[in-house]
Order: sequence, then C-alpha cells, then structure tokens
Amino acid sequence: MTKDEFLNKLNEALRGLSLNERRDILQDYEEHFVIGLEEGKTEAEIAERLGSPSSIGKDLLASYHIDRVEQSVTSGNIIRAIWAVIGLSFFNLIIVLGPFVALVGVICGLWVASLGFTLAPLLVIFDFLVHPGTFEFFHLFVSIALCGLGILLGISMFFVTKVLNKGFIRYLKFNVSLVRGGLKHE
Amino acid sequence: MNVQFKKGVLELCVLVLLDKQDRYGYELVQKISDRIEISEGTVYPLLRRLTKEEYFTTYLKESTEGPSRKYYRLTEKGKRYLNELVNEWREFSNAVNELIKEGVSSD
Repeated sequence: MTKDEFLNKLNEALRGLSLNERRDILQDYEEHFVIGLEEGKTEAEIAERLGSPSSIGKDLLASYHIDRVEQSVTSGNIIRAIWAVIGLSFFNLIIVLGPFVALVGVICGLWVASLGFTLAPLLVIFDFLVHPGTFEFFHLFVSIALCGLGILLGISMFFVTKVLNKGFIRYLKFNVSLVRGGLKHE
Repeated sequence: MNVQFKKGVLELCVLVLLDKQDRYGYELVQKISDRIEISEGTVYPLLRRLTKEEYFTTYLKESTEGPSRKYYRLTEKGKRYLNELVNEWREFSNAVNELIKEGVSSD
C-alpha cells in the first residue's frame, strides 16, 4: 500500500467525524510517513507496519462517538455510538445489540403501560358515550386509580430512562476497552 | 501474546516513555515497537485518547529535517496516572512471577 492509499482508506473509514478531527488524525499519520521516509523506509514498509487503516478508523470512530454521547445524550448519538462499537468486531453484534434491544424493549413496554394507565378514565368515558347503559361507578374509580398509577409510573420511568442511558454508555465504553485488541499485528 | 493485555500495557509504555522527556509520535512508536510487536498504527488512537483525557498536552516543534513534528508532554494528571499504573504493574508482575516460581520449582 502506498502512503496515499493508506491515507485515503483511513479518511474513508473516518466518515462521520468532523472535518477538523479528520484532518488532525490524518496529519498524525502523514507525519509518521514523512519521518519514516526520511529514515529510508519505503511507503509500503511503513504502511505494513502501521496495520490496517480501516481497523484504525473503526477504533477512532468508536471513541469519537462515545465521547459525543457522553457530552449530550440524544437518541441519535446513542445509536451512532452503538453502530460504531458494533463495527469494531462481529462479536459485538451480539454482545452490544442483544442487551440494547432487550433494554429498549423493556423501557418501551413500561412507557406504553404508563400511557395506557394514565388514559384509562378516557376509555371509561368513551365507553359510556358509546354504550350509555353500561356505566358503573366501579369502572370509573378503577380507571382513576389506574390513571394515578400511570402518572407515577411515567414519572419514575423518566428517571429510570435517564439512569439506564448512563449505564448503557458505561457498558459501551467497557465494551470498547474489551475489543480494542481487534487491531492486532499478525 | 494476548492482544487485550498488550493494549493495556501499551498505555503504560507510552506514559513511561514521556516521563523524562517530551517525544513526538513517530519516536514513541519506534521505541515501543523495537521491543514489543505491535501494529504501529494503534499507538496514535491511544495518544489521542490520552490527550483528550488530559494526560498529555501537545505542541508543534520545527525539526531540522522536514516539517514540524507534534510533541507530547506529560501533564501533572498524567504523572499521577503513570504512578498508579506503575504500582499496579509492579504488584501484578510480582504476583505472576511468584506464581511462576512456585509452579516451576514444584515440577
């Protein structure tokens, strides 16, 4: 691989990073090539010793996206970080995606339940409007109780979601440190 | 050698090399790869991470031959971290050495 090929491949692998960040990274490797050439090595030799540019890119991409999530937790940032971490190795597909899907499933389920409970009185009123004969106070009271429960559940879910977000980011970081070894020199 | 293990040690190596003097990236990579077999390209992401964690600062310095080079300097925070890692490493390697000694002598 020539110097230009190496740098192009690395640049491609870094797609998604800001322009500044990319230039900064490429500069480091360019400097490495320049000094290596001064010492009389060939471009191919230097590239060979550096290792695969796409694995280097994946490593950098994963750290970048995890940094971003830590700065601001948005669902877009989380998903990008997850993709980047998955990209590090196939092993991560299962280890990262599995718990994430399960977690999201549970959170969504609880949110839907809280919404359903909260809206229970509306259902009773709706039922009364459609079938006026079937109204029972018992239904109304149960629905009001459910509504209260739903609101409480909603409030706790708000905090639970926040905490779980943080926990998941830590899990991602742990995962990155686990698979950082993916870039080995054969 | 186990790759994960090597990665952790790489961090320690970089910090140790910067303890006495500032160095540029290429120099760090060569110093390490002279003794340990690594993918040289993995050192730069590590340098970036450690710089972001404020263990290093960087500056550019002109070189007599060719373009300027990016030098890394250990910060106070980096020095504390280095001490921690060195202590951990000593404890760990002593323990492993003891185990090896016991294992070999009982054979």
